Amino acid sequence: MTESALAFHRRIDTALADARLRQALAMTTGRLAGGRAAAFDALPDPVACREEARHARAAAVARLDFYLDQFARAAAARGCTIHWAETAADAREIISGIARERGIRLAVKSKSMATEEVGLNEALEHAGVRVVETDLGEFVVQLGGDRPSHIITPIIHRSRQDVAALFQEQLGATPAEVEDIPAMTALARRVLRAEFLQAGMGISGVNLAVAETGSLCIVTNEGNGRLTTTLPRVHVALLGLERLVPTAADLAAVLAVLARSATGQASSVYTNVITGPRRRSGASGDPPCGEPDGPDELHVVILDNGRSRTLGTPLAEILYCVRCGACLNACPVYRHIGGHAYGGVYPGPVGSVVMPGLHGLEDWSELAQASSLCGACRDVCPVKIDLPHLLLAVRREAAERRLSPLWVRALMPLYAAVATRPRVYRWAGRAAARLAHAVQRGGWISRLPGPLGAWTASRDFPAPSARSFVEEHRERKAASA
Amino acid sequence: MTTPRERILASIRGGLARACLPAGADYPTARRPASSPPAPTPDLVERFVAALTALSGHAHRATGASGVADVIAGIARAHRALSFISWDDHEIGCPGLLEALSSRGLARVTYDVGGDPGPRVREAEALAGVVLGVTGAFAALADTGGLVLVSGPGRGRLVSLLPPVHVAVVDERRLRPSLAALLAEEAGLLDAGSNVVIIAGPSRTADIEMTLTLGMHGPTDVHVILTT
Amino acid sequence: MMPRPARVQLFATCLVDRFFPAAGHAAVEVLERAGVEVHVPADQTCCGQPAYNGGFAADAAAMARATIDVLSRVADPVVVPSGSCADMIVHHYPALLAGDAEYGPKAAELAGRTYEFTQFLVDVLGFDPPAAQAGPTLAYHASCHGLRGLGLREQPRRLLRAAAGTRSADLPDAETCCGFGGLFAVKMGPISSAMLDAKLDAIERSGADVVVATDVSCLMHIGGGLHRRKSRVRTRHIAEVLAGHVHD
Repeated sequence: MTESALAFHRRIDTALADARLRQALAMTTGRLAGGRAAAFDALPDPVACREEARHARAAAVARLDFYLDQFARAAAARGCTIHWAETAADAREIISGIARERGIRLAVKSKSMATEEVGLNEALEHAGVRVVETDLGEFVVQLGGDRPSHIITPIIHRSRQDVAALFQEQLGATPAEVEDIPAMTALARRVLRAEFLQAGMGISGVNLAVAETGSLCIVTNEGNGRLTTTLPRVHVALLGLERLVPTAADLAAVLAVLARSATGQASSVYTNVITGPRRRSGASGDPPCGEPDGPDELHVVILDNGRSRTLGTPLAEILYCVRCGACLNACPVYRHIGGHAYGGVYPGPVGSVVMPGLHGLEDWSELAQASSLCGACRDVCPVKIDLPHLLLAVRREAAERRLSPLWVRALMPLYAAVATRPRVYRWAGRAAARLAHAVQRGGWISRLPGPLGAWTASRDFPAPSARSFVEEHRERKAASA
Repeated sequence: MTTPRERILASIRGGLARACLPAGADYPTARRPASSPPAPTPDLVERFVAALTALSGHAHRATGASGVADVIAGIARAHRALSFISWDDHEIGCPGLLEALSSRGLARVTYDVGGDPGPRVREAEALAGVVLGVTGAFAALADTGGLVLVSGPGRGRLVSLLPPVHVAVVDERRLRPSLAALLAEEAGLLDAGSNVVIIAGPSRTADIEMTLTLGMHGPTDVHVILTT
Repeated sequence: MMPRPARVQLFATCLVDRFFPAAGHAAVEVLERAGVEVHVPADQTCCGQPAYNGGFAADAAAMARATIDVLSRVADPVVVPSGSCADMIVHHYPALLAGDAEYGPKAAELAGRTYEFTQFLVDVLGFDPPAAQAGPTLAYHASCHGLRGLGLREQPRRLLRAAAGTRSADLPDAETCCGFGGLFAVKMGPISSAMLDAKLDAIERSGADVVVATDVSCLMHIGGGLHRRKSRVRTRHIAEVLAGHVHD
């Protein structure tokens, strides 16, 4: 097993041993999954809604070069500055450069998985920019110096006592200010409102971009998406190049299922559509003639970082993903191990495909092994991505690159050789039964050898029957004839 | 020498040429959603009110500047508010409202956050004591209880964002069944301003232990006054 | 719905064949009672699913071709007492062999006449199970591939309701995976174990005496866990329940 695979298994063990985490995961994923089910039941035609959302995303990805170009031109026509970042390093450099050129010392951020993916915060801090996360969960993650554990609800792994302690340590909060969740929320609102007002730059991700109008759609429940993209003079939006829909009608089709899938809400509180920076009308362009607020500059940084390469692989369908997190909430594996165990920015079923797709199989293919292929994820994906099919594609690639453990690589061709030779198969079965008979008690085996011992560590294994069904059946038929 | 843009687009084309997308991904053009938006139903108001109320928003009915101003004055009293920020009178869609509010003792505060961070912070601090923001709305959506606000001259974004109480005045005739229905009618909506926002109830978060709290960054209270 | 066939082939599956022959015999018994002649090809082996799920496409394809050969000597429908193996043949064989000029069409042809056991009883035969009699309380665990791969939500439940009557108990989270997943149970032992524990806890909460499923893979996993816990709860394949073999 590779070093990263071993590290994955260690993180799994740590997560499984954390009883409080598992309780929190069960509660959170249960509630989110239940909310999703109820929200879809309330739709007059849930099947059609998912089909239409899928169509909107598939249409964009199928002609991604055309729509991305259309988006960039439309956005530029509306006053956006478009940047093209081929790699994470490019994205960091571009955004740091924007800040440096303008002497910006403070940036506020609304939640963006893409900015985590490229490691933006650290790069900006290096460039002398203080970065403040404004989504409450991400704010807590930042204060605690760790990482989000879920795409939508980042601090499942934190109790209210954890948050209270962090607020006292890092913000100097008094006991009264952290005595309950409403108090902590009010404190965070006060602290962050001051940051919003001071910040020279607002940084956001993009949930969906509309090609025909050059619009960015950013959804939040808290309102930090609106403040981040309104108060600071400079707004920088990091857009994964696959997150497009062709038209406004397509946007509506995806929005119809997005919040329902993520949290069970019919709509996020704020669905924010931005088309260019603040508009100045009149010859002089002074505010009294134009819009009274909004950023003066809007920079859209289009991020590749492996997405275009993924288009040309069997994993291409994962580019339809809208990062709703429904697959995490449905996945029995995620429910037991949580997000940190996966070790990367994207966890759960989607992460098990995205991480190898964007960052290579050598370090990430083991994630795709952490699945029983139960298919619960496929059932809840709002754009009907066949996740089990993609997980199998990762496994196939991993097998071809000989990344599977040695015993598995030896076992499979041997098993195939036996199973395609019926007489050898029968003989091998009889031999195994005889071998097992020696170690079984009452029809059960309590210790299997080698790697198979992982089964018997916690369960018994049934002893093979002395005589196989096919043999017995043949004898019975012969006897009754 | 190719540019990053050219390289990225070329990489995309190369990927598409390898044809790894699922069957049926051969979409020549974008299309309108297959299900046509449902025809407006008589109970749009009831459905909107039910959806808004379920989100802890408050719905009111009123007629004319005087009626609307009475409702707003009541809300202001409940929050001990003496001042407000707002859209311009002709943008709110209730002619004479600002004057009616003035005659009820509510002072309208204007703001200008166009400057550099220094002046902007001072402007915003001056707004810190303002509890109430009054806007109109381009439309309201019955399926989600959402308000559609379009930014523009006289229609600041911050009015519905900074103060803890947001009051929106909406003509009942601007109710629509859904966003899809509205877009089918208003093809250029997304481009009508630099910011089109759909607001569904008060700001909320449940990040800490999945416990719901209202008023995280945006307003804690949302009131919609439906006018006839 | 296809016309009622006079004869079917039984693809027992490697796990039934080697570990749970009683389920195979029960399946034959139920089918024969329903008036269908059952032929069991003697040289059947394994559908190849373990290799397929591991990403070993060439090995899986070899087993798929062999299985197709075994089941294509006659055109009779194939009945499989396993949702996952039936799903393998119906959905994954055609995909796996899509590029094979000879076996691609054969895979599609076989997929068109292959059924999971309860699917065949309900959808093809319109089978009416014998009325409920006294006996242990039964709870149904919905095996994943049958449920989500083949869409078998109703068929097993309908049969079990009729057979068990008031002796059926609701299993909480019946549609949550038991954690078997083939080699997953060994390659990811701790996670598999955690999923199994959740399933076993639910079984205890249900108050059932017997856990019933369409797949012996789930049952050997659940059974292995129950036995390690020294539980009195037993496992039975749905064919055994329908054949009246619930008692020890």
